[in-house]
Amino acid sequence: MSRKTKEKKPGKGKWAVIYILTFVVALIAGVLSKQISPSWAKDYSVKWTDEVGTAYKDLSYGDLPAKKYDIYVPADNTKESYGLIVYLHPGGFTSGDKQYDHEMLEWLCSMGYVTAGINYTLRDDEHPETSVYSQSIEIKAAVPVVIEEAEKLGYHIDSLGMAGGSAGHCLAMLYAYRDADTSPVPVKVCIGAVGPSSFYPEDWSCYGFDARTEETDEAAAGLFGIMAGKKITPDMFGTPAYDEAMKDISALLWVDEHTVPTLLCYGAYDRVQSFEASKRLDAALTEYGVPHDYIVCEHSGHGLQNDSESSHRYSQLMVEYLDRYMPVR
Amino acid sequence: MSVTAKRLLIVLIIAVVAFVLGRLGMRFFMNLMLGGTMFGGDFL
Repeated sequence: MSRKTKEKKPGKGKWAVIYILTFVVALIAGVLSKQISPSWAKDYSVKWTDEVGTAYKDLSYGDLPAKKYDIYVPADNTKESYGLIVYLHPGGFTSGDKQYDHEMLEWLCSMGYVTAGINYTLRDDEHPETSVYSQSIEIKAAVPVVIEEAEKLGYHIDSLGMAGGSAGHCLAMLYAYRDADTSPVPVKVCIGAVGPSSFYPEDWSCYGFDARTEETDEAAAGLFGIMAGKKITPDMFGTPAYDEAMKDISALLWVDEHTVPTLLCYGAYDRVQSFEASKRLDAALTEYGVPHDYIVCEHSGHGLQNDSESSHRYSQLMVEYLDRYMPVR
Repeated sequence: MSVTAKRLLIVLIIAVVAFVLGRLGMRFFMNLMLGGTMFGGDFL
């Protein structure tokens, strides 16, 4: 009897180890499987080779170290003119770099566009004076330099598309809506995802600002003041003075009948920036008859991570918008 | 069903449950950081 028990124990132990290992391996596989790109994503990327184009990296558009840009030019340089697509990186205005958007820039370049990723001074301990407004001014200064560089490389630029993600989308909208008149070439389209476009505390439930208490209004005034690079006080909320103060960084407040065609994508559960603000933007674009599409990822947050179908639609529409408003000739 | 077959079945069930838990866990973490729902949209 005791001999039998002794014989069985090692077998049970072996299976217990197998169960535990299986659990751990399958758990890790489950986690990793969430990182795999959907099958459609391969249609929106390209293997970058000399036959596709050439990238010139870390070119300067100013004295500061952050003021760098990368420019990608297609291998076919025989066309009379080219559209330039500027794609601005995300990172909450405090982090990020153009280098992480290389796949997007390469893919757009493979379609026949000159593309550029532009860095801007990030708000950090070394640059406490930096604001969304100062960053938008840097982009405004960079665009003519990028176009000039493209011309030097032998690519005549005749149109511009502004695009970006999150913070980059905010800056892209500001250029396309606010600064388009100063652009050396016509801005034809604005494309982006999850970029903040207005700063009304009642919209910013993601930070609890919608509670509208003395405390949350103080917090909202502090944050929005830093973003605008201006002194904002709680008593300004809901007044024309607030709109006036925030207009410099509120793409919404620049929308009119001349606003360029716009493609937007937002997550309904965004915890990083205001989804409600995007509804205002959609309403304003509709009111002024601006051609636009507003895609909502109904189960996602800032990363648009739970709605592959909607993200796919966004990518499809990106191609459609470029074909329609900035066709490659 | 032999004991070995039963044990292999348990291994399979553990693998499926752990895989699903892994995906759910990752989704939970991403939702915590970025926002989002636990169910709906993509698989898990």
